Amino acid sequence: MARNSLRLLLRRFFQRRELERELNDELASHIAIETARHIQDGESPEAARQIALREFGNVGLVAEVTRDQWGLGWLEQAFADLRYSVRSFLRAPLFSAIVVITLGLGIGSSTTIFSLLDGILLRALPFSNSNQLTVLWELPPQTRKPNVVNLSNFVAWRERNHSFQSMAAFLASPMNLLGDRGGEQVPGLSVTADFFETLGTQPLLGRTFRPGEYWTSEPREVVLSYGAWQRLFGGRPDVVGKKISIDASHHEVIGVMPSGFSLPNHKAELYVPQAIEINEGRNYTVIARLRPGVSPDAANAEMAALAAQTAREKVHMDAGWSAIAVPLLEQTVGSVRPILLLLFAAVGLMLLLACANVANLLMMRASGRVREFSVRLALGASRHRIVRQLLIESLLLAMCGGLLGVIVGGIAIQFLKTSLPESLHIPRLNEVTLNWAVLLYSTGTSILSALIFGLAPALQSLKRNVSQGLHEATRSVTSGRKVRRVLVIAEIAFALVLVSTAGLMVRSFIRLTSVDTGFHAENVLTARMLLLPVQKEEYRAETVRQMLDRIRALPGVVRAGSIGILPMEGTNSGTAYYRADRPDPAPNARPGGDVSIITPGYFEAMRIPMIHGRAFDVEDRVGSPPVAILNQSAAQMLFPDEDAVGKRLRVQWGGGGTPLVEVVGVAADIRHDGVSTPPDPCLFMPNDQQPFPFTSLVVRTTGNPANLENELREQIRAVDSDQGIATMEPLQQMVSDSIARPRLETVVLAAFGVIALGLACIGLYGLIAFSVAQRIREIGIRVALGASKAGIFRMILGDGLRLTVVGVLLGLAGVVSSTRFLRSLLYEVNPLDPATLVSVICILLVVSAAACYIPALRATNADPASILREE
Amino acid sequence: MAESQRYQNRIEIRQGTLDLLILQTLARGQQHGHGISQVIRARSGELLSVETGSLYPALHRLEKKGWLDSEWKASENNQRAKYYSLTKAGRKQLVAEHDKWRQLVQAVSGVLDPA
Repeated sequence: MARNSLRLLLRRFFQRRELERELNDELASHIAIETARHIQDGESPEAARQIALREFGNVGLVAEVTRDQWGLGWLEQAFADLRYSVRSFLRAPLFSAIVVITLGLGIGSSTTIFSLLDGILLRALPFSNSNQLTVLWELPPQTRKPNVVNLSNFVAWRERNHSFQSMAAFLASPMNLLGDRGGEQVPGLSVTADFFETLGTQPLLGRTFRPGEYWTSEPREVVLSYGAWQRLFGGRPDVVGKKISIDASHHEVIGVMPSGFSLPNHKAELYVPQAIEINEGRNYTVIARLRPGVSPDAANAEMAALAAQTAREKVHMDAGWSAIAVPLLEQTVGSVRPILLLLFAAVGLMLLLACANVANLLMMRASGRVREFSVRLALGASRHRIVRQLLIESLLLAMCGGLLGVIVGGIAIQFLKTSLPESLHIPRLNEVTLNWAVLLYSTGTSILSALIFGLAPALQSLKRNVSQGLHEATRSVTSGRKVRRVLVIAEIAFALVLVSTAGLMVRSFIRLTSVDTGFHAENVLTARMLLLPVQKEEYRAETVRQMLDRIRALPGVVRAGSIGILPMEGTNSGTAYYRADRPDPAPNARPGGDVSIITPGYFEAMRIPMIHGRAFDVEDRVGSPPVAILNQSAAQMLFPDEDAVGKRLRVQWGGGGTPLVEVVGVAADIRHDGVSTPPDPCLFMPNDQQPFPFTSLVVRTTGNPANLENELREQIRAVDSDQGIATMEPLQQMVSDSIARPRLETVVLAAFGVIALGLACIGLYGLIAFSVAQRIREIGIRVALGASKAGIFRMILGDGLRLTVVGVLLGLAGVVSSTRFLRSLLYEVNPLDPATLVSVICILLVVSAAACYIPALRATNADPASILREE
Repeated sequence: MAESQRYQNRIEIRQGTLDLLILQTLARGQQHGHGISQVIRARSGELLSVETGSLYPALHRLEKKGWLDSEWKASENNQRAKYYSLTKAGRKQLVAEHDKWRQLVQAVSGVLDPA
């Protein structure tokens, strides 16, 4: 029975027309049977039919009373309302299109940002019990900025802690892979044996490293990423046991990780075992898994205690150092959280603006429909029914808007995923999808926005009564004016907040691009690589020297040199160096900063001027006196009132020694860390004396540096055909990539600002135009009574501008209250920058004036005679 | 004149009663609307006549309640007609209504013709 009723209900709902036809057929068949009976009784067909019809009665009436039995369930009533709504929207296509597009953009942009928020901040990382995963750092005495870890400290932590189930250290590094086409360098991770167990991910094929193994670097084994397996072995299943050449030695493939496995922000193709080498260097990142039930705070406290222990035991190395535990998710996404939250707030505001506009439009429409509603009320429709009708109309609009929004969002997400440069380093971008959570969000947003923008007109229509509505049908209603004004004020306030934020970001970005980095990046090509291991370290330096000699001989090359780690790529920070002519400072009070290992030609290729003394030359080699160059900051730090040249320093560098070096020159400061970071002290040493395992060739060319790429590659191969190159790109590109994120933030916020301004403008225009239309009679009377056109114009314009001023004041309050947050996004720009705020206010006033201009003009052109006649 | 005479002799049927008559008629097998009115008229000795304006709403109401099912079939003289039949629930309803009717008749006759 239930199924029968359901079937009927569904049929009534979806096949009403068919049902009607069936009823007509049924009644017709009754008449036909009756006619046949009368024919059998001997009547002529014509007469028989007449009798049958007469006996039947009024066919239309019978059909109607029968139809009444079908009843209108709430669903059917809603459906009827829906059909009514569709019809009424189709009658006003422009209005409907504006509403749907406004909502679509609002919901679409918020869907896009929500999907970013969901994929990046909210969703758990793709590891089992990923909230247990924690990254451990050491904290240096002065800066207290998280620092990579010393392996002997790692070992001490691993043995003594009670907070963690397991702990592993790893080092990210390009790895030189030797294939059929010569050497190439791919990103890899050297990991201690517990790495995979800590992350808790099983291999797709074979096995991973076993905990407790690899106290030496034998046996040489490798675990492949899914991508490397596909690329190197074409996904062959019998890959386990095969050998590949990594960094000039053979490694046996023991396993393949599943697709998608990667430590966030550490994409790697190869995983090789890392032996525990005890030395004083700090190079490793440590990942650990909390024991169940241990809170991150407790772990953090234990890390501090453990670090205090090692600091007492190894004073020369650890004095003053501490340690912290940071949850992996926080570590991964902490840097993008502020901007994502800002964007989310911005799209939230935009959605509110869109809702306010739609509410405004709907309310104007509702006012124009007073007569329609009054007639319906007079004909017996309940108030309840009319309110529901209005809400269903808003819901329908919201659903259309939501659908458009999801489409817009889907396109935007695809666009973001494919077009954002890798250099933006937005973590987990590949995990962003249009999933159920996002769709749920969009649907929720649509329904909520329908309620927000639909409630006001619906409630307003409740207030009216029939006779008033019918009476006033041709005139206007002024109730709801206040609500509409509040909405427009809110829009202007939101627009002010967004536009001024965008303005500040633009200013901040212009500052950022005009920063003098201290070097000239244009026309410089860079090639980064890990140097192949060799018998003696000097040979590495020899390799670099040979490459540079060949490159310098190329036509189009002006200067060439190399540096261990390029500007905009990171630093060797936290290395201590101090004056040798004074007593050694206590280990936790040693000054220091960056160390850069360079070759002769580096300063010239970068166009970094020497302030004093000389640059390195070919005479600074193994066997000759060890030398160093300081940058201005370092010279200022170590020799505030003296000439640094000729002085001697001790440098805590290399495998345990503290070489004594003589300062031979002082170079100008550059911004090595990033465009927005002021120069740190830096000490340069020659690659020939302190050979470095990485090198980045820096080649200044006469023309477009990209043209030189192939020749550069050839020269490197000519020195050692096994030597791969990790990356090759123009320095200008690296500089520009380093500010890609602020650029993106600026562009996005500017776009939002423009949209918000547009929305506020439409809102204000709509309000004023509507109020002019409503007051046209009053205006007509005023003109008839002798008011001047200028006076009318001022009155209308003043009306709009008053709203703008209130909105601007509210918006300013919003900007002031978000000062602290804005400061975190800005570079050397005051969040309350008067110039920006004043220009934004001017823009808003001009836009408002423009929005009011046309309606004001219409009011002035009002012809009193014709207006009054109309009434 | 004869026409109006016939109407006056007939008894108007109330809604609940009509439902019972329809259910009872269909208990003997499926039937279309015209057939049902014919059967009721014939069995009642031409006394009970069902107006189409009552019959069809009743049929649709009973079908909606799930007591009747319907299908389109060719009738005895090859007309297409909508045939109604009792559902299981309809059969139960018929038994219940029939019992109620019998009680009503007993009660009413008890009042009208006290023993």
